This record gives sequence, structure tokens and C-alpha cells, in this order.
Amino acid sequence: MSQSSTATPPSRLSRFWHKWRFHINALLLLIPLGFMPKYFADVSLFRGDSGLGEREIGDVQVGPWSLRLAELRNEAPHLSGPAGYMKDFNAALCDACVEQVKATYLRIGKPRSLRAAGVIFFGTPYRMGSQLPVPEKTKADAELWITMEGWDGSMHQASIPLSQASPATIAWLNKQGAKP
Amino acid sequence: MSKKSRSKLWFLVHSWLALPIWFFVLIVCVTGTLAVVSQEIVWLANPQMRASQPADDAPLLSFEQVLAAIKKAEPQTLVESISRPDESHFALDVSVSYPDGRSQTVYVNPYTGVIQGSAPDFNFQAFTRALHGWWLVPFTNGYSWGWYLVSFLGLPMLASLVTGLVVYKRFWKGFLRPTLRIRHGARIFWGDFHRLSGIWSIWFIAVISITGTWFLIQAFLFDNQVSISTEPIIPAMARESVPISADASPPPRISLDRAVEIAEQKIPGLEVSFISMPGNAYSHMSVGGRGWYPLMFQTATLNPFNGDMAASRLISDRSSLEFVTESMRPLHTGDFGGLWIKLIWFFFGLLLSMMVLSGLLIWTKRTALATANALKRESKKARSAPAQPAFARETSEANL
Repeated sequence: MSQSSTATPPSRLSRFWHKWRFHINALLLLIPLGFMPKYFADVSLFRGDSGLGEREIGDVQVGPWSLRLAELRNEAPHLSGPAGYMKDFNAALCDACVEQVKATYLRIGKPRSLRAAGVIFFGTPYRMGSQLPVPEKTKADAELWITMEGWDGSMHQASIPLSQASPATIAWLNKQGAKP
Repeated sequence: MSKKSRSKLWFLVHSWLALPIWFFVLIVCVTGTLAVVSQEIVWLANPQMRASQPADDAPLLSFEQVLAAIKKAEPQTLVESISRPDESHFALDVSVSYPDGRSQTVYVNPYTGVIQGSAPDFNFQAFTRALHGWWLVPFTNGYSWGWYLVSFLGLPMLASLVTGLVVYKRFWKGFLRPTLRIRHGARIFWGDFHRLSGIWSIWFIAVISITGTWFLIQAFLFDNQVSISTEPIIPAMARESVPISADASPPPRISLDRAVEIAEQKIPGLEVSFISMPGNAYSHMSVGGRGWYPLMFQTATLNPFNGDMAASRLISDRSSLEFVTESMRPLHTGDFGGLWIKLIWFFFGLLLSMMVLSGLLIWTKRTALATANALKRESKKARSAPAQPAFARETSEANL
């Protein structure tokens, strides 16, 4: 921290360094500045101001009911600690089925029974979300199954190709070469 | 090592702890200070957030009455949770979901149930917290690296406190004879200011740096899948315990007032301040509030169809370790005892921000002085005998 007072005059670069070395950390402010657009985009995404999700999949008819499905993020599944890879989907129920549908589930592959219908959606019928586990060994031609259960005990199912539900997930599966 | 050179070393350590990152530390301190009173700032800026009482004797509405008022005003809007802020001048925060898929917080008058407006698009509270807490770096898998960056500052801050007290000899005398010399130039003033605010902030700096360090440990534990929680995971309701309705419409749920009644009956001393609706047909509703220990919340998890209590989380359920760790966040934010505690935290937050600035000013002025002295000696040396080493003056504590 002592200024050197040697006989030879210090170079311009070292003078500059000595003058500014303790102010360089102000550049750390560039980090939040850089992340700010992403921050506000996320806020708007989670409030639903920018739609149901980053990528709308469209309406899916499930028996007498239908729901609008969207990928929360148009991205590959994300690693969620030891739980493995997860893919977030959002959904909104059709106006007529808001009162009738008790629960909605998602699963890769056809469920054998209602008890194994997959992950349940949380939220309101206007906007609900679920985290679908995507095993790394999922085949690229897999199907996403939607199960809806009515308050009267009825159950309806439908499926769409995973490639339609999430092209980003298919790209991710292909890239790492679907593990056997 | 001699006593003198040891204290010189401590002094060097003290100056070097914050100096190279002073601007970062300053912004973290300032945003943290703002975050403490962010709710109040939003309250000042937005009249919709204020809970004005229509008449002096107007009673507060119950949770069920509030829900009914919202349902009447906007039949399509679905309520996800209702929360009564600690201070009575705040309107209720109600999270709602609209048919168009938007979810928002709206401010509801606690006396009339009128929806006074929705939270502004720019959420100042959340933004200052995000900037202060994780430098806006997004969370992807586990904690964001911005969180680590900020919470790491707890360590140099704690070290600054300790080394500061070591180099400030007999600092307790400062309590008895406070000195703040105003007329002796900027160097003396900032030196006095730094020491005076330092000794009066010992408790605050200790609280902030220890709790800040806890946030670092917390992230580290979480990201390494180490859990110290004794809280049981509550399973979803069994298929059989959710009624089926013959007419295909949702079966009736217990009223919110009934839920409050059940919770307050089962948990003595509970003052319910928030209710979260079930997230789906198989999940519970949760009712909670503060108890005798203001730093923690107690909650009851209820079956919304029959009111059975599936689980409860009381202050006495916490292990002694959790008692300490769960107190860390409220201690850090000052959000546990109403406006006055927040204002105390705000004041000392400002003082702490000023300590960073005054520390920097002292250093700059001292260096400027030392440089001037060195130059003077240089020119003297050219004429006469060799002088003392240049750094002898600038690192001595007497010079602070």
C-alpha cells in the first residue's frame, strides 16, 4: 500500500494501475446489470404477463375436457439436485371444465392406472404447473400422457408425442444419445 | 514479533479486507439497507397499499369475510393466499389468479374488503432483495453463484470487526468520551466518524456478518444435499380422504374462519396472519402466524374438506440447532417486531454503508498525505541526510 518512490519515474500503465486498482471492483456492478433483462423477463413469465409459458404447445383434447399446455421454458430439462432432470410444464383448463376437473397429471409413457398417473399439477385451473421428471434414458419417440380426473370419479386420458410437447427435450435426448 | 509491528500488521489486515472490494461492499450495504424498509417505501409510493380505516370503530374483517368480498367483487378471480402484514397500516396482501392466466398480488382493505389495486408491475421489494441477496444472478440448479458472492462478504465483514477492535486500542473508552472532531479537516473527521460509528455498531455488524455467513453455509449445505431440518414431509392427502361428489362439482370446503378457529384451538398462542389455499385437490391448506417467539412462524396444515389437522409446525418442534438457524434470516432483515425494529436496522444499515465510505476516504486521504510527505522527504534527502522510510507514517494507528 505504500507508494513507491524509486528514482526511475513509473510507467504510465503502472501509474494508471496505482490510481485505479481499488476501484476496479466497481466493474462487479456489470453482473447485475447484465442479468437485469433476464430478471425482468423471468418476473413477467412467472406472473403470467407473457403468457402461459415460453412456448405454447396448444390445446389438447382429453375426453370431454381440454387444456392448454405450455413449456414454462423453451429449454432442455434442468438438473434438480439428486432428483434428476426435470421439465416444467404449465397448463390452463378449458372454461367449461374449471369446476369439473379435480386433478390433472402428466407422465411420460402410458399410465397403468390412476394411481400411477404421474406428477400432479399445482395451482389454479387458470394457471397451474408441474415438474415432470425426464429420465435420461427416455426414447425420442416417447409420448407425453395427460390424465384428468373429475370430481365425479371419472377419468380421461390423452397423449401427444414428446417431440410435439418439447422439441428442446428431444434435442437434449438426441444430443446425449438416449442412454439404454 | 514486537507489539508495535503486530498492531501494524493487524492494521494492514484491517485496511486490506474491504479496500479492494469497497464498491461492491458499499452497494450490498446500501441495497440491504433499502431492502429493510422496502415495504414502507412501496407503502409511501402507493396509496393502494394503505389500510385506511373508514371509521374509528370499524372492525377488521375476518379471513372468510375478505374472501367473500373478493368473490362478490370479482367472481372469476381465484384467491391463492391471504396474508395480513405485521403492521396495521398495511393493506392485506392477497395473491390471486385471473382467468387470463395472470397471477398477481392485490391489496385489499382489511376493514372493507375492497380490492384497492394490484401491486405495481415493478416490484421494488423483490428487486432490492434480489439485488442485495444474489446480485440478480438466476438460480438454476441449487443456489445462484450470486448468492455465494454476496454471502461470502460475511467473512471479511466479521474479520473487519475483529481487527478493527484490535487496532482501536481501549475502544471502550470511546463510549465514555465520544470524539467527533469537525474542525480539524476531513481526514480527522472521517477517522473519528469511522471509529465512533464502529463502536456503536459492534452488535449490528456482528449480527449482519454472522447471519450473512450463515447464508453462505446454508447455500453450501443445500447444494451438497445436507439437511438439518427436523420438519417432516407431509404426504399428499390419500385418495380416499378427498370426497367424490355426485353432481361433479367441487365438494364444499371448510370456511377460512373455521380453519383459523381450528388452528388457534390446537396451537395455543397462535395469532393467524396468513392462509394458503390448497395447491390442488389432494393438497392441504395451511394456516399460520407468529407465536410467543416473534422470529418464527407456526403453521397448521389442515384437510380443507373436514378440517382435520394433518400436521403442525410449532416453535417447540424446532431442534435447538434450528432454533438458532431459523432465527438468522429475521435477525438479518430486522423483520420481526414491526416498524421500530426496521427503522433501527435501517439506521445502522446506513451507518454501516457510511463506514465503508469513511474507511475508503481515510485510506485515500492518508495515502495522499503519505505521498506528499514522501515527496517532501525526497526533496529534503537531496539536500541533506537520509530520512526515515516512507511507509513508517502511513501505517501507524496513531495516524488513523
